[in-house]
Amino acid sequence: MILYDYILSPSCYRVRLMAALLGAEMTSRPVDFHPGREHLSPEMLALNPAGTIPVLTDGSLTLRDSTAMLSYLAAGHDPEWLGEDTPAMRATVAQWLAFSQRLTSSAGAARAHDMLHGPGDIDVLRRAATLALRELEAAISAQRRRGMIFLAGPRPTIADIACFPHVALAPDGGLPLDPYPSIRLWMREIRALDGFIEMPGIHRLHELKPEPGPMPDIRQTRTTRDPKQNA
Amino acid sequence: MQTDWTPVALSHDIPVASAAPGRIGDTALAIWRSASGRIAAWSDRCPHRGMRLSHGYVRGERLSCIYHGWSYGEDGGCKRIPAHPDLTPPESIRVPVFACREASGVVWVAEGQPAGAPPDLAGFRGLRSLHIAAATGAIAEVFGGDGPVLRVKLGPVAVIALVQAFGDETMLHLMAPESCDLATLDALSDAAEALRRNIEAEATA
Ligand SMILES: N[C@H](CCC(=O)N[C@@H](CS)C(=O)NCC(=O)O)C(=O)O
Ligand code: FES
Repeated sequence: MILYDYILSPSCYRVRLMAALLGAEMTSRPVDFHPGREHLSPEMLALNPAGTIPVLTDGSLTLRDSTAMLSYLAAGHDPEWLGEDTPAMRATVAQWLAFSQRLTSSAGAARAHDMLHGPGDIDVLRRAATLALRELEAAISAQRRRGMIFLAGPRPTIADIACFPHVALAPDGGLPLDPYPSIRLWMREIRALDGFIEMPGIHRLHELKPEPGPMPDIRQTRTTRDPKQNA
Repeated sequence: MQTDWTPVALSHDIPVASAAPGRIGDTALAIWRSASGRIAAWSDRCPHRGMRLSHGYVRGERLSCIYHGWSYGEDGGCKRIPAHPDLTPPESIRVPVFACREASGVVWVAEGQPAGAPPDLAGFRGLRSLHIAAATGAIAEVFGGDGPVLRVKLGPVAVIALVQAFGDETMLHLMAPESCDLATLDALSDAAEALRRNIEAEATA
């Protein structure tokens, strides 16, 4: 399984995170999205004519949509992540996957605008993102009234993993998360999951990290370093 | 109803051993709860390099900054600097601490030392905090009341709306009667969303 991957892309991180939570083996093939625009190279366009990343290949299968990749990974490794096998729950999960693409095109586009000079009217993007974040906040608060926190039932599913990256990175697009208490608590639960991995700007719950100690002495590190590493 | 206390959060949104952002007037707050359940509201600025302490983490009875891990005790004083574990941090390294009380499931903060206790809202429990992109005046107008504690009707239900200035916007902390069942709470949440849409539509009209 090969993931055509870009470290700063929330959509790629969705897939890396899901694979890590499932313990699925996957090879990351870095794509120089910025500034190289390698996602638009002839080789990448042959894989994905839409010119977006991530792309996931597994043998003869090529997937071009990150939420489809989440479904594929979960179905292959631990179907519990697909949500309870009832018509209502499967539809609820599908609805959240579609919702997550609303986050991509609003909060994600606002972030791309602010960080990578992406296109779009920033006020329109932020307004659309705010509506989506409010919808998410309301839904999680409803889950909390039922003693739950995840989007589709009592345990995390691909719905949570699809929505999490763009929400967590929303502040990069000028969308502070201060007004959303339920979203904050939901993100804490995801950041505390076994197998959780980080990306730049998204961290494992700090409470679960070791207590910070003194910084290593750089001079000492230098003199003891294997000279071959400098070659 | 008037009070020197400002409602800044609902208790259930700040579980044990966690920190959350808030504000009072123009001051950003780090509202946090220790492992033993003690609530506190501090200035949201780490004395070291100004990182937001509301992004920090709680261990035991201390709040630590995520940037370089300086940790602060109950009185706001710095207790540990990880880069210098043998140093006793000087008394002068201190986060400004605000008066903070918890009553009826609401976290109240005050500037200075208020004389009375926060309002008693017995019989109600916190439902949701909603951010509204309109000044508090616009909300008071809709509800036809004054002050931060408004007893109003939302649909058929008598609720309490706690109105907090959030910069030039508003945080609405909604309290529902304790006796409400789940379906009613869901309906109140929907009604609050609709109310917000109306207030914002009017504010921008
Ligand atoms: N098909 C979507 C695309 C995700 C997406 O928008 N990816 C961004 C990078 S984060 C991208 O490739 N943008 C390139 C473009 O739109 O030209 C998915 O897999 O979720
Ligand atoms: S800024 Fe808080 S510890 Fe350095």
